[in-house]
Amino acid sequence: MSHPLFNREAVPDMPNPAGIEGIEFIEYATSRPQALGQVLESMGFRPVARHRSREVVLYRQGGMNLVVNAHPEDARVSATVDGSPVISAVALRVRDAYKTFRRCLDLGAWEVPSHAQAMELHIPAIHGPGGSRFYFVDRWKEFSIYDIDFVAIPTVDPNPPALDGMSYFGVVQYIGPNRSADWIAYYQEMFGFGLIPDDQRFGILPKGTLLRSPCGQFLWQVIEPDPWMESDSAPECLLRVGLGVPDVASAVQHLKARGVEFIESAQLHPEDRGALTRNQLGSVSFELVHQSAA
Amino acid sequence: MHVLDAYGMDTITLAGPLEAKLAAMKAAGFSQVMLSARDVVGHPQGLQAAVAAVRASGLRPTGFQVLRDFEGLSGHLHHYKVDIAKSMLEMCAALDSKVLLACSSTSRHATQDLDAIARDLRKLAMLALPLGIKVAFEGLSWGRTINEFTTAWDVVCRADCPNLGLGLDSYHVFAAKTPLDAIEDLDPDKIFLVQLADFMWQEAKTFEERMTTARTFRVFPGEGVHSEQLADLVLRLQRLGYRGDYSFEVFNDDYQQLPLDTVAQRARRSALWLNEDVLHRAAPLPAWVYNKSRA
Repeated sequence: MSHPLFNREAVPDMPNPAGIEGIEFIEYATSRPQALGQVLESMGFRPVARHRSREVVLYRQGGMNLVVNAHPEDARVSATVDGSPVISAVALRVRDAYKTFRRCLDLGAWEVPSHAQAMELHIPAIHGPGGSRFYFVDRWKEFSIYDIDFVAIPTVDPNPPALDGMSYFGVVQYIGPNRSADWIAYYQEMFGFGLIPDDQRFGILPKGTLLRSPCGQFLWQVIEPDPWMESDSAPECLLRVGLGVPDVASAVQHLKARGVEFIESAQLHPEDRGALTRNQLGSVSFELVHQSAA
Repeated sequence: MHVLDAYGMDTITLAGPLEAKLAAMKAAGFSQVMLSARDVVGHPQGLQAAVAAVRASGLRPTGFQVLRDFEGLSGHLHHYKVDIAKSMLEMCAALDSKVLLACSSTSRHATQDLDAIARDLRKLAMLALPLGIKVAFEGLSWGRTINEFTTAWDVVCRADCPNLGLGLDSYHVFAAKTPLDAIEDLDPDKIFLVQLADFMWQEAKTFEERMTTARTFRVFPGEGVHSEQLADLVLRLQRLGYRGDYSFEVFNDDYQQLPLDTVAQRARRSALWLNEDVLHRAAPLPAWVYNKSRA
């Protein structure tokens, strides 16, 4: 009989089993790419490149890449919600994309078949909540993946600075009733996300459960419908993106000057901790969250 | 609320086309149905038509069955079964069924290592999770490694995944003669499905006998010789705090050649016996009482 090897020195388990190192890009699918582009530009994103073979545009500000996918096949999901854009993918930076991808499949993730054309990158992906996808990208230090699949838009600055130092803070996911335990288990298993205690909250929308990526660079918030909202049987989805910003008031002021409207009610209004933009195109809003400058 | 709300029939009990089965269940007063993959894919107009028929019936799916021999395999056998599981899960989701029934492996090619089995079940649960499906794992009384609900519960606990729970089938409990005291060790929130059936023999000693009886000569609760035991089982589950569905898992060659309504009426009698004579559940007030109080 073999003796179990006790962990005498309390050496922690591998803290980041999936090798996650941040968010590489977030993708929206929409059949109304120009309208979404306007919303993104008001938020400080600039179009910097177009995809070689598909109707896809890369927007950027600072370290944030945001992809607008209007390729008819991918934008079909948006058509089912009256053309409102949907967050269709989150690409995670990882140490070894193939390893992370294989590991997820071994643990029970669903593989997404690649549609890469000749000379394009095959970015491995698994299915996420509600028809969304998680991509795994490992080549973000030495060169830009966008140089392969995208063509730069002439005359524009390929690296526009971030408005008020904004960066990706996290993603909010709406889930079904009594589904928190399921999704917490899923993200712990697949990505090694850790639970954040209930008394620790960021921004002005504290509902649901918060998880943190093992790289410490972004949060994931899962929110169930309130128990009395029995009629809320909307499908699960990635709902909105949170943007971290060192000075919320200053960012709000600058964004307002660009035409961005904020929710201003007695319960919910811009303050030092955060702010929420008014919904655009039926589904697109951004949450600003105070984050000390790195 | 209706007296029969907690009970449902299984499509495998009845002969004939899916629509006729659903109609017979509905006419007998049932509001839910346990769907068998065979009954769904066997629809002459295909899967989509079967899904539409289930939707149109207004019956709520209790669950979808059955994924067999999933756990404990390795190499190409494992990958093959993962593919099968994915197809089953897709059908389960299309039918809007929230529970997939998986039963313990009978395969001699599967490992008997309980931790390896638990790891595979956890993977199955992860596959089901984004689709909003729970996996109910059931110990077949002729399963090779897991043939009692106590061992099935052990691996469910080892796998420790919120959407993986236990499927209990009274037939297998009685055939394997598992002491009912062990029910007290279960967590009622992790019992995702309870299937009830009685049978006519006092005993089913060999695996062979259990298999034949299970597939041809089960009867509805209260119709066989294990009614007292079955009542005991249901009362213990009630005491434990189980408030989920009871589905009649009755494979019976005789019922397969009787008019559907005749069989559905037997199921109805069985449900009333359970509800009134066993569980002593209060009959809900008739609708006019509510209407009157609202007026």
